[in-house]
Amino acid sequence: MKIIDSAELDAFREEVRDWLADNVPKDPRPHDGAAMRDFDLAWQRRQYDGGWAGISWPKEYGGRGASVLETLIWHEEYARANGPVSGSMFVALSHAGPTLINSGNEAQKQRYLPAILKGEENWCQGFSEPSAGSDLSALKCRAVIDGDHLVVNGTKIWTTYGHLAKQQELLVRTDPDLPRHKGISWVICDMETPGVEVRPIKAMSGLTHFAQTFYDDVRIPLSNVVGEVNGGWKVAMTTLGFERGTGTVPHQIELSKRTDDMIAEAKAKGLLDDATGADLATLKAEVAALRSLTVAQISRGMSEAVPGAEGNIVALQFAELTRRVNGYALELFGPAALERGGHPDYPLEYLECFKWGIGGGTNEIRRNAIGERVLGLPKGPSAR
Amino acid sequence: MIVNLTPTEEQQLVEDSIRGLLAGKLPVDRLRESHSHGGAAERAIWNDLAELGLFGLGLAEERGGIGYGLPEEVIVAKALGAHLASPSIIAQMIAVHLADDATRPALMSGEARAAFVNAFDGGAHLIDGEGATHAVVVGQGGVALVAIDTLGTAEPVELIDETVAVAKVSTSASLSGGAEAERLSLLLATYMAGLAGATRDMAVEYAQTREQFGQPIGAFQAIKHQCADLALRAAGAETQCYHTAVTFGRGNDDGVEVACARLLAGEAALANAKQNIQIHGGMGFTAECDAHLFLKRSHLISMLGTSKAEVRKRILA
Repeated sequence: MKIIDSAELDAFREEVRDWLADNVPKDPRPHDGAAMRDFDLAWQRRQYDGGWAGISWPKEYGGRGASVLETLIWHEEYARANGPVSGSMFVALSHAGPTLINSGNEAQKQRYLPAILKGEENWCQGFSEPSAGSDLSALKCRAVIDGDHLVVNGTKIWTTYGHLAKQQELLVRTDPDLPRHKGISWVICDMETPGVEVRPIKAMSGLTHFAQTFYDDVRIPLSNVVGEVNGGWKVAMTTLGFERGTGTVPHQIELSKRTDDMIAEAKAKGLLDDATGADLATLKAEVAALRSLTVAQISRGMSEAVPGAEGNIVALQFAELTRRVNGYALELFGPAALERGGHPDYPLEYLECFKWGIGGGTNEIRRNAIGERVLGLPKGPSAR
Repeated sequence: MIVNLTPTEEQQLVEDSIRGLLAGKLPVDRLRESHSHGGAAERAIWNDLAELGLFGLGLAEERGGIGYGLPEEVIVAKALGAHLASPSIIAQMIAVHLADDATRPALMSGEARAAFVNAFDGGAHLIDGEGATHAVVVGQGGVALVAIDTLGTAEPVELIDETVAVAKVSTSASLSGGAEAERLSLLLATYMAGLAGATRDMAVEYAQTREQFGQPIGAFQAIKHQCADLALRAAGAETQCYHTAVTFGRGNDDGVEVACARLLAGEAALANAKQNIQIHGGMGFTAECDAHLFLKRSHLISMLGTSKAEVRKRILA
């Protein structure tokens, strides 16, 4: 436990801060649709041109090759500068890209990684199915080998930005006779391939951020398989939950700002009494704990090659706290806070934050993981 | 500022040595025997604690201390909490920071001994005061170090926690805030984080071994998820304490950070103690199971010094 003081890192921080001050888009990010996607791609391209894209990715694929500490500084400054969320670039930058870096072959890395960093192609994730959610390895979407192609039939759901993405990381069952974790392959699916049909799904917030995808005899080259045929579970698990904590920094800083703003507004409006004071003090303390937990997770990431299951503690704290904070604003500020379209749009923020704690691992699955993989309790049926 | 919360090698050594000593000399089950109550077991090893350098650990070398800082002191405080050590050890750790040059050497060597006096509206409690030469008086206004003979007549009283010896006293010490008051508040918070961590470990161990319906109860999600909540609360409290210790004096609002640590750790200690009792079922309700000791100690320490209302006010200041 110590403070790392370094003139070199201070200089790096200065450089990041200056670049962000000059380049973070001033226009508000569209909430939805192709306009949002185009905004995200343009911002990605701008970061690429400035030499900041893929901050921690290897240089040979267009990344910056920054150290863990530099990456942390980038994320901190990015959040302070109100940099836009990665949005429709999230899967490409935080999941598909790192998976290819870990498990892809050279041709796949050359073909796909620079296209991500240049903002030419965004990705979506085809993992969950209507009957395979938390129990992901029950997935049924079938792929049969036909010559040098896979032929895919089935469906995927909760495909975030599926209707706006160019590529998809797709988990398919290539051998139904093998044990369920062993017959799965991880393939790259071009969303423009004939037979792919995407039906957008409207969320409870009113935004259309995800979709269901249907595959009807979709032919995908075998060369798009990442890792071994039938080795897809291992490929997926290497990066699922591969979280050094730096990715949580923007969310944590945003939630911290939101909480401080709420407290300031409560004071300004004379709403601070013993009861609201007790609630707000607890929320602020919990937000401070989230910050400290994030720092602890990043600290572990500095010394461990593959971070352990403790990341679930940070994710769980964030998911539950963001709902509490956003929900409390509605209670505190009364009927006017129920109006849509304001700044901030309290109902929108509130309704949207229910996605945390469901997508990417429900709070219940995370509690299982903490119980089994952090505390060493006996495994239940959901263990993976 | 970049913060690394992973213990350094030296900090690991500090932790290993205090844990080694406590595991041998102050196992929690000592408190099943009343002759260990009231800090008796701690008084028996006071010299060992002094030799380990506990009293002066975070004190600068030029003032005669070991020259470590708050991070090392909170590591010790957490271990003390996990072992339900007498609060007097924390009192002594703070006393060396408060003492003048004439008094300090005797406190550091363990020759002079400190104990807490909790001053509240309408009274004051001296905790584990037997043999104490000094009192660390804590209350709303902060903290003060006074000679034990400045306190009025001591009249024994039994509190919720029967493992500490308490006497009603009176004091007119004038308390002051500032960095040492914050240090004390943080050490008490970390002690409570230690309580929360110990009950997490106790609950998990029981859930791994206690079988019902043909399997360990920890296999059931009803229990497993409670254990995850114990872990979440303990981790939040502990890392907030550690983060505050490392960044103290480095530009954060230390008063707010300490108050957050205090609030979280107090709630974590209490909530975890309750849930640990529940997970232990019938055994948890008995006097022979140690679970109740953590509940009682959580109530005692969370009421020491700054009140919860004051802590909240500081957080929102």
